[in-house]
Amino acid sequence: MQIYLPIAELPVNMFIIFGMGGAVGFLSGLFGVGGGFLLTPLLIFSGISPAVAVASTTAQVVASSASAAITFWRRRLIDMKLAAFLVASGIVGSSIGVGIFSLLRRWGQLDLVIAICYVTFLGLVGGLMLTESIRAMINARRGRPAPLRKPGQHNWAHGLPFKVRFPRSKLYISVIPIIAIGVGIGALGALLGIGGGFILVPALIYLLRVPTNIVIGTSLIQMTGTMAVATVLQSTTNHTVDGVLALILMVGGVIGAQFGTRVGAVVRGDQLRAMLALLVLAVGIRFLVDLVHTPAELFSLATLTGDTR
Amino acid sequence: MIRAAALACLALLWLGAAPARSEQLIVALSSEEVRITSNFTGTSITVFGAIERDAATVSRAEFYDVVVAVKGPPETVVTRQKERILGIWLNSASRTFVNIPSFYAINSSRPLSEVTTPQILKRFQIGADDLVFPVSADAGAVSSGADDEFRQAFLRLKREDGLFRSQAYGVTFPGTEIFQTAVQIPANVPVGRYVVMVYLFRDGALLATDQSEIRIAKMGFEQFTFDLAQNQGLLYGVICVILAVFTGWLAGVIFRRD
Repeated sequence: MQIYLPIAELPVNMFIIFGMGGAVGFLSGLFGVGGGFLLTPLLIFSGISPAVAVASTTAQVVASSASAAITFWRRRLIDMKLAAFLVASGIVGSSIGVGIFSLLRRWGQLDLVIAICYVTFLGLVGGLMLTESIRAMINARRGRPAPLRKPGQHNWAHGLPFKVRFPRSKLYISVIPIIAIGVGIGALGALLGIGGGFILVPALIYLLRVPTNIVIGTSLIQMTGTMAVATVLQSTTNHTVDGVLALILMVGGVIGAQFGTRVGAVVRGDQLRAMLALLVLAVGIRFLVDLVHTPAELFSLATLTGDTR
Repeated sequence: MIRAAALACLALLWLGAAPARSEQLIVALSSEEVRITSNFTGTSITVFGAIERDAATVSRAEFYDVVVAVKGPPETVVTRQKERILGIWLNSASRTFVNIPSFYAINSSRPLSEVTTPQILKRFQIGADDLVFPVSADAGAVSSGADDEFRQAFLRLKREDGLFRSQAYGVTFPGTEIFQTAVQIPANVPVGRYVVMVYLFRDGALLATDQSEIRIAKMGFEQFTFDLAQNQGLLYGVICVILAVFTGWLAGVIFRRD
C-alpha cells in the first residue's frame, strides 16, 4: 500500500517501511541497541533524503528507547542521578549536533560527514566489540571465567576533580568524563540520527565502571531524553521530521523489539556481541565502499533549502 | 527597460502569429487542480484542444503540429560535482541555477527538430535543451550554455527523477483539427502553480499559442502536517515526541509479561 509522506514529499510502500522498522526493531531488541545506525542508512537507500531520514529516525529512536526504558524502570535498574547528568549534557550536545547538521546541509557536505562518521565509529566500535567477544568466547571454551570488576579498581577517569557520588551505581567519580560523554553522544546522535547506545554502553562500562546491570537502563534514559530534545530541535531548525514516516517506523520498531528481546534472552551474551559486532562492521564497510568507490553519477542536485532530492 | 523587453516579446509573438491570425486554439484540461492526498502516487493530466479556423481560411495541405509544454514552479537548484580528494569522493565544484522550472514536460506531435526551426525553439524556449539556464551571480557567467557539464548533469538527473520528460509523438490527432495528449505527473512532483503552454505550428511556423494553469497542492492531512512542520516547528516536534513516547509505552503495556 503506497502512502504519501508529507515532509519527505514522496510516496513509499507502507509495508516495506513497516517491515524495515520491524526488522531493525527486532535487531535492537536482540542486541539492546537503538538501531538508528541501521535504520538511517536503510531509509537513505530507499530514496528518502538524508536530511529527512536522519531527523525521522531521531523520533523513532525516542519510541524504541522509551519502550525499553519503561521495562528497566519497572525493574528499578536505572541510576537516575547519573542519567540526569547524561541527559543534561546530552541536550547541550544535541543542540551542537543540530547546529552542525544545518551548517553542513548548507555547505553540501552533510552526506560526506555522515558517511565518514559512520565509517569511523562503526568501524572502531565494531572492531573493539568483535575482538572483545571473540576473547570472551575463547575464554568460555577453555573454561576460564570472565574477568570480574573489582570494587576498588580505578582508571584515569577517576582521578579528575569535581567528584560526585552516585549511590545507585556505587560510584564516586568526577563529572568531567560524564559531561564529555553526554555532550559527545548527544552531538553524534543529532548529527547521525542514532541513539548512540552502541557507543554509550561501552563508554559507561569501561570508562566510568558503571555496574553492567544498571548500564543499559541508564543509557536508555539518556537516549530517550537526548533524542526527544533532538527531535524538537530538528523540527524547529530544519523542519525535516516526517511524522508519518516516523510513526510507521515506531510501530514496526516497537513490535519487532518485543520479539527481539525474547530471542535475545536465549542466546549467549558473547555470541550476541559477536553478531552485533559483525553487523556494525558490515554497515561501516558499506559506507567506506561508497566513499572510496568511483560513483556512477558524479553530480547531485539540491534545492537551495539544502534538501538533496 | 522592462517595458522595452515586454514590447519586444509582444512584437515577437505578433510576428510569430502574424502569418495566420485566422487559426485559433481552444484548449481544455482534464483537471485544473491536482490534489496530493495520502494515497497520491502520481497522476496524468490530459490536454484536449481544437484548432478553429474561420470560414475565410483556406484548407491547407500541410498537417498541423502541436507542442504542449508543462512547466512547474521555478526553484533555485545547486548542482554539485563530486571529486576524488585523498581517495574519498566528496562534493567540490558547484553551480547554482536560479529560476529553473522544477518540473518540465514537453509533448509534441513530432520530434521538435521536425516541428520547427532551431531559431523558433530557442526564441520561445521550447524543449529542455532550449530553456534558458540563469546561474547565480557569484558563478561569473549570466546563463549556462548547452555544453556546460553542470547543465547536462542537471538535465540528466531531472530526467532520471521523471521531473523532466518529453514525448516526441505524445500529441495525437483523433481528428484533423482536434488533438489530445496526456502529461504524466510523477508522485515526487513539487507543489505549486504549473503553466501549460500549447503551441500550434504549421509548416514550421508558429500560428497560435495558448496558456493555462494547473495547481498542484497537498490536501487535508498532508497539507496540515506540512504547514505545522514548517510554521509551528516547536509544536510539531513536541507532538512527535509525545507520539513516540506514547507508542513506546503502549507497546510495553500490550506485550507486558511480568
